[in-house]
Amino acid sequence: MAARGHVQDPNDRRLRPIYDYLDNGNNKMAIQQADKLLKKHKDLHCAKVLKAIGLQRTAKQDEAFTLAQEVAVLEPTDDNSLQALTILYREMHRPELVTKLYEAAVRKVPTSEEYHSHLFMAYARVGEYKKMQQAGMALYKIVPKNPYYFWSVMSLVMQAISAQDEKLSQTMFLPLAERMVEKMVKEEKIEAEAEVQLYFMILERLGKYVEALEVVQGPLGEKLTSELQSRENKCMMLYRRLERWAECNALSCKLLLKNPDDWQFYLLYFDSLFHLIDQIENSHSAEGEVHSSISQALSFMEDRIATEEAKESKHLRGPYLARLELIRRLRERSCPEAQQLGEPLELMFQFFVKYGDKPCCITDLKIFLDLLKPDQHVQFINRLMEAVPLGAPGEDGVAFPGDTRALQRHLCVTQLSRSLGQQHALNTQGKLGLIKELKAHYRHGLQFGKSCLKTELQFSDMYCLMAAHVYIDLWLETGDQNMLWQSLGLLEEGLSHSSSNAQLKLLLLLLYCRLGAFEPVVDLYSSLDAKHVQHDTIGYLLTRYAESLGQFAAASQSCNFSLRFFHSNQKDTSEYVIQAYKYGAFEKIPEFIAFRNRLDHSLHFAQVRTERMLLDLFLEADISSPLEESVKLMSLCPEEDDILWDSLRDNRDLTVLVSWNPKDRQLNEEHKQRSLEEDTLWLRLRSLTLRLIGCISALTHHTSRNSEKTTENGVAAKPSSLRSLLSQLENTLNQATQFTEKQLQYPFVGPVPSRLAQALSSGCCQCQLSSLQLPLHLQELEAAGLDESTALQTQISNLFKSLAVQLQDMLEKCKGDPLEVKDSQSTTQHFLLENLVYFVETVCIVLWVSNYCGSVLRPLKSSLQKKKKKKKEASTVTPPVLSAYQEFNSSLQSLLNQALEHIKSQEISLTALKLGALSLEGQTQSEAEETFTKTAMDKVQSSYLRSLQEIGELLKKRADTLKSLKI
Amino acid sequence: MTTLRAFTCDDLFKFNNINLDPLTETYGIPFYLQYLAHWPEYFIVAEAPGGELMGYIMGKAEGSVARDEWHGHVTALSVAPEFRRLGLAAKLMEMLEEISERKGGFFVDLFVRVSNQVAVNMYKQLGYSVYRTVIEYYSASNGEPDEDAYDMRKALSRDTEKKSIIPLPHPVRPEDIE
Repeated sequence: MAARGHVQDPNDRRLRPIYDYLDNGNNKMAIQQADKLLKKHKDLHCAKVLKAIGLQRTAKQDEAFTLAQEVAVLEPTDDNSLQALTILYREMHRPELVTKLYEAAVRKVPTSEEYHSHLFMAYARVGEYKKMQQAGMALYKIVPKNPYYFWSVMSLVMQAISAQDEKLSQTMFLPLAERMVEKMVKEEKIEAEAEVQLYFMILERLGKYVEALEVVQGPLGEKLTSELQSRENKCMMLYRRLERWAECNALSCKLLLKNPDDWQFYLLYFDSLFHLIDQIENSHSAEGEVHSSISQALSFMEDRIATEEAKESKHLRGPYLARLELIRRLRERSCPEAQQLGEPLELMFQFFVKYGDKPCCITDLKIFLDLLKPDQHVQFINRLMEAVPLGAPGEDGVAFPGDTRALQRHLCVTQLSRSLGQQHALNTQGKLGLIKELKAHYRHGLQFGKSCLKTELQFSDMYCLMAAHVYIDLWLETGDQNMLWQSLGLLEEGLSHSSSNAQLKLLLLLLYCRLGAFEPVVDLYSSLDAKHVQHDTIGYLLTRYAESLGQFAAASQSCNFSLRFFHSNQKDTSEYVIQAYKYGAFEKIPEFIAFRNRLDHSLHFAQVRTERMLLDLFLEADISSPLEESVKLMSLCPEEDDILWDSLRDNRDLTVLVSWNPKDRQLNEEHKQRSLEEDTLWLRLRSLTLRLIGCISALTHHTSRNSEKTTENGVAAKPSSLRSLLSQLENTLNQATQFTEKQLQYPFVGPVPSRLAQALSSGCCQCQLSSLQLPLHLQELEAAGLDESTALQTQISNLFKSLAVQLQDMLEKCKGDPLEVKDSQSTTQHFLLENLVYFVETVCIVLWVSNYCGSVLRPLKSSLQKKKKKKKEASTVTPPVLSAYQEFNSSLQSLLNQALEHIKSQEISLTALKLGALSLEGQTQSEAEETFTKTAMDKVQSSYLRSLQEIGELLKKRADTLKSLKI
Repeated sequence: MTTLRAFTCDDLFKFNNINLDPLTETYGIPFYLQYLAHWPEYFIVAEAPGGELMGYIMGKAEGSVARDEWHGHVTALSVAPEFRRLGLAAKLMEMLEEISERKGGFFVDLFVRVSNQVAVNMYKQLGYSVYRTVIEYYSASNGEPDEDAYDMRKALSRDTEKKSIIPLPHPVRPEDIE
């Protein structure tokens, strides 16, 4: 806990043990000690607050809050109480209360620098920019220190950034901020670099680039020293904005002479060059020599390269790649001078000769491959291959490299060949031959890495990865699942030699998921040691599949990993906004706030939040506690949409898996856009379903309460949201259907498809919608009563019947063997598992709806019986809706029995399946390879079994709740 | 062939190819934000022409000026596997050293696992020497034992007599270092 004033204060001595208990996590003892102290010293307010902290940390929030407020109303001004309350409110996620606290404190002690400063920070934590501006000035008036003044200025900038009205920013907030700084400049009071930075920020946002340039180049600019090349970078940015191409050109020349490897300045050099060529007037610059003709640029590039060539060692790649870039740009403008720089094929060959043994060579050359004409591709690859030193071909015709450098060169050519589409162009036999060759290279290359540490990669790992990719190509083309098994086996083999290779793990993980086997994924993902922000960027690999494959425990856990990260973000980020003020890192303040928003609005965050709640309900509601209680516990409010649909951010790292696919098969912007659209549609469906479940819960609760109070009119108040949510669900479902009809395909290593398509084809969406619509009709019936509602009753009865039929249809789609062995080949039909999960999810919803229906029908039935008794009628006619409901419940019973039997029999046959005995003959696999493939198969088998078990268990629990539906 | 620029929060969403390396730690958000708030100039990222992040360095300035201990510290330095063997780490170190020179530091220091021979050798080539061994500096994970660290230093021009890098005769414990 923070500083606690002077040691001499006797209260400090008294409080010390409580602090210590709290620091050590011994909250109980802290509370006891505080109570003891309070008996003797009633007015020791801080002890109360410390006790409240103890209570808060032992989940007694309400008590803690009451106690804290007792102290807060007294408006304390002692450090101890203030600091303790600040800590408490922060832990309660009530930072707004801290502002109240210090507002009172500065009112009482108006000259305290410390309290004013705390007040400023408290406002910063909640983003009260206007109040921050005032607090900063108040502080400056008490203690005229520059930082306080500039805190106030920065708060004006924040008001400008956050203002909805851009005009207000440009005409009021920013000009005011500018004047405030100018005042200090005039009075020659500017002291720190941060103050100049802030001035620069203001001018930049105002579009006053000329003025900004004057600041940077003038005496104030001399303060910009922390960052390397700070002034140059700022000038460059301004030259571009001002379209001062001569300056831009001269400065990039100058910077390139200093560092001929800095890519950003080549781009600026070329940009400015062509602008200058297009301008007619002569160009001069105070920055130095300006190049405004192609011939000057050509000779500049030649000089750069000559300089590199003259060096004995450590040639920089920059000049060589920049030459290719210039060719591209000259060609785009159809300038014949492009030829003077040389033939791209030749230049790329020379580049390969120089840098082919570096792993980045492929990345470097990949972006220039489109400079080659398609008919040059074969020649290019052959030319490079000739420059790879390989030994004499062995028996199988494969020639191997003699060392790691040669290996890297050979690998690079192979990667380039794939990038040019040559591998994709091969027929099946050709691809199988290629795989064989790649595997041979992979295994041969392992000898170079014998002494590698566990944390290092094997030199030849990429061959293994590429062979796995070719297997996947074959699988996608032919549908032959053996290719997938062999790909898995190969990757398992690769991982056994190179246990730190993240790429091998990622591809394995993806393949297992695609095969419907989630169990092995858990270990693979955890061995990636993904943490914190990585839960947002690659967490989707985990959360997309766990639940849909019925591995509910793992699904809960993976959602929790992500949720924990997201929840800590809000609190954490605010603290660093405050730090940025303290250290004068003003440019970081808007950056941190944008970052916090990016995480808050993360698509993945909304997904895990929604799925986690659904999952909790599916697993718990009406099993361990009533639906209503679960809904209340998660503060689910059907009226409120907690997702800001228009600001959703897709933070997924969709390029985390390496791919050397040719351009037309690579991930592109359209894929990303589509995938976001698809995921958003699915999320919308799920979120609406969740809120509708909340509605059902509220209705059930309402109805059962009403039925207890017999005096009241039996009509339930209709939550108006039910109808609106249902129509939204229906609309979204239509959109979703249209979307899936387009049948978009993403690259295999790109975004993973959402659950949408499978959910629609399983019939679960329609079935869930039908069941969720039932309550509307039941509400009508509740209002109309049983006597005058024959038509309505018939309608409801038909809906029950149709629902039973839909469920039966869904169940039919679950039947079949998820893992099948035929003709010594094993094939998977993992969609059967997914369909089973959809079936179970739908059963949960149907049961909740049915429970609601029961709660409506029960009182109707009992009042009917009372009437019958009164009239002593012996009529035996049961109203149709009551018998239809009973029939529906018994068909549910039989459906669940069928489903449970199906799962049981699947478990038995899956357990009996001996994949180990499977002969993989005729598949040209060696014995060692077979072992790895079988390991993979075993993992899949075991995972399917586990999915079946978890799904079966849940279904059994659900079946047990059927009894309670009787009326 | 690199664009060297200041690391920003958005880079945290793109650094997987660097951080999925087993020896590169992914820290909690507060850790990165603390460095960005306090020492933004010391957090530099290298970007490839295709937009991929190649590597980054993260550091700070600390220590008492009065006791001639004001220095630059390398907190993290990592280069993605495909961009290794290009001298990028050396370039990033050079930049950190230059910033530390400007701040008037006496030396630059860093901690490295004693088992990370590749890194130790690289730092030696860059002019760093082992100043002391810190016992069990790296706490155990995945059932591996705790590991010692080398505290390696390189003197800057302000330390004309290179006093800051005279090796300590005995190893120290983590609680004894500042």
